[in-house]
Amino acid sequence: MNDPRSASTLALFKDAALHVRNSALDDWKAAGKKVIGHVCSHVPEEIVTAAGMMPFRLRGIEISSTAVGDTYFGPFVCSCPKAILQSAGEGKLDFLDGAVMVQACDSMRRLDECWRKASVEDGARMPHFFHYFGVPHKVTDYSVQWFAEEIERFAKALSAHFSVEITDDAIRRAVALHNETRALLVRLEALRFRDDPPLSGSQSMSIILAGTAMPKEVYNPLLSALLDDLEASPGIGHNGKKRIVLAGSVLDDLALIEAIEHEGALVSADTVCFGARAYQGEVDSSENPYKTLARHYLNEQFCPRMFGYTQARFDLILKKFEDSGADGIVFQNIRFCDLHGSENGLFEKRLEKGGIPAMRVEREYGALADEGRVRMRIGAFLETIRKS
Amino acid sequence: MITAGCDIGSLTSKAVVMKGNRLLGISIVRSRTRPAETAEKVLAEALAAAGIERSELSRCVGTGYGRENIPFVDEVHSEIVCHGKGARWLVPTANTVIDIGGQDCKAMRLDKDGNVVKFLANDKCAAGTGRFLEVMAKVLGVDVSELGRFSEHAKKPVVLASTCTVWAQADVIQYINSGETLDDIGAGINNAMAGRVATLANAVRIEREICMTGGVAKNTGVVRALEKLVGTRIVIPRKADPQLAGAIGAALLAQG
Repeated sequence: MNDPRSASTLALFKDAALHVRNSALDDWKAAGKKVIGHVCSHVPEEIVTAAGMMPFRLRGIEISSTAVGDTYFGPFVCSCPKAILQSAGEGKLDFLDGAVMVQACDSMRRLDECWRKASVEDGARMPHFFHYFGVPHKVTDYSVQWFAEEIERFAKALSAHFSVEITDDAIRRAVALHNETRALLVRLEALRFRDDPPLSGSQSMSIILAGTAMPKEVYNPLLSALLDDLEASPGIGHNGKKRIVLAGSVLDDLALIEAIEHEGALVSADTVCFGARAYQGEVDSSENPYKTLARHYLNEQFCPRMFGYTQARFDLILKKFEDSGADGIVFQNIRFCDLHGSENGLFEKRLEKGGIPAMRVEREYGALADEGRVRMRIGAFLETIRKS
Repeated sequence: MITAGCDIGSLTSKAVVMKGNRLLGISIVRSRTRPAETAEKVLAEALAAAGIERSELSRCVGTGYGRENIPFVDEVHSEIVCHGKGARWLVPTANTVIDIGGQDCKAMRLDKDGNVVKFLANDKCAAGTGRFLEVMAKVLGVDVSELGRFSEHAKKPVVLASTCTVWAQADVIQYINSGETLDDIGAGINNAMAGRVATLANAVRIEREICMTGGVAKNTGVVRALEKLVGTRIVIPRKADPQLAGAIGAALLAQG
């Protein structure tokens, strides 16, 4: 990198990727502005931005135990919503002015009722604006229409609770801002596809993660300047490394990517929630904004919660594999994730039949707890790949 | 070219010294807290058994959970790859390898050159690992090496309702209290272990012949039960102790 500001931007992004709070978020709050947390990539963040607030993707990081989460969820359930509830129980999400719950999957849907219950019994502060947002599982004319109405209901609820006006023009401006973020992240992805990228897979993921925790108004110009510099920078010695596509469920844990890269590989692309899923496609702003948002957020998310898109998800993984010149695919999912767990198994078999090396890893959400086991398997998988 | 392979496992550590295709010396020791100390000890013993000085070694490869903490190795490889290589050396006809170590259990399918093409490892808990047998043996008050023979004399093996080590332990205590024989309980433990491992082996798509490595390969009760479940004979290495597969594979990889 040539621009001295790039190192500090990368440090800021990494800080935002590793911690619940970051300086840009704190500045936003200090200016008296609101932050609305949400739990799913199907939430149209543009509505929050149009209300003059900051959308914030909730994560369960930096928790000290799982006591609160275990109490309300029980043991045999995905540890991601449990960790988010734990974070609320430990007061780490007290800065939120609102939270949006989604039936992303059964486990995440339960966060709504568990958080409500924990707020009464365990002091897990529930934001005053606590909104349940429905997302259809199918894409049809009537489900897009229903979803457009649901997005409008969300906008009205936000508007009424905080006494702010959300105009169609404000939504269009928000769409333009978020489309700009998507376009920047596509530029980042192009850098990752280079034979010798100027940054590691872990650095790329920290940049993407930071975008979920910072105001886009601050994030976009920083990322744009960083990309200008990186695009003019040479590679940092990734030539000849085995390249891996990371696929599967929610992943906001840099440690897993670092574990793969520690074994001598490069994570050159991904299709995970929190990763590439955030910038698929662009929102069209030519017609009714609720309708265009509904169409985008139902069509472009590539989560197995959506029925009828299995082939599209498989094709996307293959496309990332080819575009990034990858040598293998690692499918990961949180334990007890039925959606990704079953789909990962199907995809792994199909890829193996086609001669593409693939491996599945089940893990707990959060900082890589069983690192030894994961690294042993990743290491063995990489050794079985013949570099093309 | 004289090479060494050093497999630092969670329960035991193994080292072998090889010259070409010949095994010159071996050692198996209990792993200590610090992998570096264990590695020094196990390699020193293998060298002594071979009558070789450390300076005569051309290369040494490390593997096992402690592989990154071995100070003297030239390179490290994952235990899955090493076990594949070692198993093919031990049983040249093996195309599927089941390895049960102290804290993990692996099934591998090999290509014609002994390279691993597909593998699976237990990833949930201690069920199906050597640790499971250790815990059960302790409850029965016998040495883990004695568990295998119980299956030979069992008349009506008990059924363990769970493969969870903790719940199975409670089951075993219940059976002891209700007067079941040690033979029947021991056979039930071996059967439970085999059931867990068979699931893993079937998932990698078994290709004959199957070779079993790792310490549990010495437990004939588990091996016989597993043969019934997978429907084919399982070959136990005779050229050397099946526990040495990883270290042998490492020594072979050191030859380049």
